[in-house]
Amino acid sequence: MNSISDNHWCDLLRAPLDASAATDYVRAGQDGAIVTFDGFVRNESHGRPTLYLEYEAYESMAVGKMREICVEMHERYPIHRVAILHRLGHLEIGETSVFIAVSAPHRAAAFDACRFAIDTLKRTVPIWKKEFFEDGAVWADGELPPAPPAPKSAS
Amino acid sequence: MASVLPNLRVKVLFFGRIRELTGITEESLETPEGTTLSELFERYERRFPALVGFRSSLVASRNQEFAAWDTPLSSGDDVAFLPPVSGG
Repeated sequence: MNSISDNHWCDLLRAPLDASAATDYVRAGQDGAIVTFDGFVRNESHGRPTLYLEYEAYESMAVGKMREICVEMHERYPIHRVAILHRLGHLEIGETSVFIAVSAPHRAAAFDACRFAIDTLKRTVPIWKKEFFEDGAVWADGELPPAPPAPKSAS
Repeated sequence: MASVLPNLRVKVLFFGRIRELTGITEESLETPEGTTLSELFERYERRFPALVGFRSSLVASRNQEFAAWDTPLSSGDDVAFLPPVSGG
């Protein structure tokens, strides 16, 4: 499931993420910098050796939230294009779970926007990770996204 | 709940730990007009006592947007009760 426009590409994928496709998507002649973030599966969690991870998502909502992050990045930073790819399903140690690429005419905006993207994704995008160990499995500690303070009126 | 009110039909989705606790991925159900997200969750607490105590560590969504617990439902809504997110 994905959301693609002329300045963002958000995707949820069940196959290995193609980092070079993401950087090729954001790269253009008007740019002078690309910043990427590669998040991959660590071999331990709180000191316990991890065997593998499984990711699941509320896919339609997750793509919507990823698209909102891209829109907000363009509002906040003078950047050109953004790619946010997230993997779902079974991931082995060392495999990339999330890959973000941001292009901009100048490096500062690309660095800041990329940091904003991964920090916001980890707080607001409905994706869940289960960690598998030798002696069991646990859902990873996560962050509870902020709910709207006031109720919407009935439609 | 008053039975004179018409029912509305919503789709409810479960993910992560809550999906495992209920054994439900997705279901469609009828609920009286005026039901809020909170009241719908209470209904699931009665059906699955393992959910009792979980509400404070969940956030509700309605039609792919985070929503306050006292949001009233409309027919055709997609509802989910989401555990803390851990993507990335």
